[in-house]
Amino acid sequence: MQLPLLFSAKKAHGSSTFAALRCPNGSVFSITFSQARDRGRTSLPTIREAFLQMCNLPVRVVCRANAEYMSPSGKVPFIHVGNQVVSELGPIVQFVKAKGHSLSDGLDEVQKAEMKAYMELVNNMLLTAELYLQWCDDVTVEEITHPRYGSPYPWPLNRILSYQKQWEIRRKMKAIGWAGKSLEQVLEDVDQCCQALSQRLGTQPYFFNKQPTELDALVFGHLFTILTTQLITDELSEKVKNYGNLTAFCRRIEQQYFEGHDKDSSATASARCAKRSLLR
Amino acid sequence: PSAADRNAQACFLNCCLTLACANQIIFCNLLQAYAKFAGAPLIVNTINNSWSSPKADVPVLISEDIVISQPAKILNFLRKQRYNADYELSAKQGADTLAYIALLEEKLLPALLHTFWVEAENYCSVTKPWFASRIPFPLSLYLPGKMSREALNRILLTRGGPPLYSLTEVEAQIYRDAKECLNLLSKRLGTSQFFFGNTPTTLDAFVFGFLAPVYKVCFPRVQLQEHLKELTNLCRFCDDILTCYFKLTVTGKFYFSSTFSHV
Repeated sequence: MQLPLLFSAKKAHGSSTFAALRCPNGSVFSITFSQARDRGRTSLPTIREAFLQMCNLPVRVVCRANAEYMSPSGKVPFIHVGNQVVSELGPIVQFVKAKGHSLSDGLDEVQKAEMKAYMELVNNMLLTAELYLQWCDDVTVEEITHPRYGSPYPWPLNRILSYQKQWEIRRKMKAIGWAGKSLEQVLEDVDQCCQALSQRLGTQPYFFNKQPTELDALVFGHLFTILTTQLITDELSEKVKNYGNLTAFCRRIEQQYFEGHDKDSSATASARCAKRSLLR
Repeated sequence: PSAADRNAQACFLNCCLTLACANQIIFCNLLQAYAKFAGAPLIVNTINNSWSSPKADVPVLISEDIVISQPAKILNFLRKQRYNADYELSAKQGADTLAYIALLEEKLLPALLHTFWVEAENYCSVTKPWFASRIPFPLSLYLPGKMSREALNRILLTRGGPPLYSLTEVEAQIYRDAKECLNLLSKRLGTSQFFFGNTPTTLDAFVFGFLAPVYKVCFPRVQLQEHLKELTNLCRFCDDILTCYFKLTVTGKFYFSSTFSHV
């Protein structure tokens, strides 16, 4: 059930007013991002939006500078519904399910196991590779990540916070054994992951039957971000572009779930300032 | 189980437990299993030459004069030598393999690391004595502790963080995830003998590598083992592989040696 967006979010000098949207049953969905659209991990906002769009739930996107602190788990983005705040894809999916919307009800047990396995594969490979590229590749860190991450803050806070984040991410990479990997190895892992996704998708419109599931939202979020985020080199997006069915999949979801809503709302346009459409 | 089975199991366990850490235990299991599935002749050696061995992670595969040290590379090497257990899999099944391996690493591995290296009773009564008895004296005082700290570090860095604020909460979460993972594996396996039909493949080797230590090692604190024992098809899966593939020792031209990683 689709509802028109009733209010628009206004931006005033770095803070944005928060507009509420109400559905007939009283539940309100709004997603909050950090001010610089892709400060931390770039793909998560798209995943959440995609998932909520697929559930046909009305969504409002808002940018806030202190979003990381508003979130219960410290991770952006998160959703704010009524008086509840839920972050991270897993809990959001369960929350939405508890409200009566679910994308994976039609799957049998074996298919659900497969879906969860593929979601872990994407988290394991694509997410870690994105983090690696953002925080462990020196050129990218210096030219893109530090400026982007520290942009809402004045000097010297911007440098301090981004170095702190970098140190945190590098520690994690070292613990899981990715610190010793070279860029080529990381790109090879991404390629392997995309190959697996491409083989699983085959010629179907979605990963499971003809209906999208959480896995589709997750894959779309990651691939869309990889394809549209401008980095120093295009190697990462080239790896994804090698697989025609994956780019077609992204385009299809973008057309179906995002193009229509962009016309309705001006507010989401402000949140999409850093993104380009795949269709251009 | 017959005496022969028990012997085989004991040898196999002996092998596993002499390796450097839970991570390597898993990979050594699975590499042995994979090699057996693919028919690659290999010898398992537990060479204790830690002072002179190269700075390599275990396990290490030595074939004539080539030394390969990472599990993924070892698997690739065996495949290129035409010992390929996945020959008959379709592309989609190959993709499924990768996905399930990621599931094992993300959901089951933290709990395994915890059971072996962080859970105090287990660590003090089983892991540390076994490990320390296999390495020379000065290292045996330091290395187990280091492995334990690294395991805890890894668990906290990857799974800790808000909204889980204490170690007990993290532990509860990782065991929940591990049990869910075991349930998913059980559903996927169903009643078939192996994950993709009647012949074992890489995925079977990986699952065996992860499950066998949980299934067979006798720890004082065994919540994961108890959960596993309720999933009878997974137990049957492990038993089948143990009886079919680990009864006899094999000799051949590949030497599979385990060295201990340097401090």
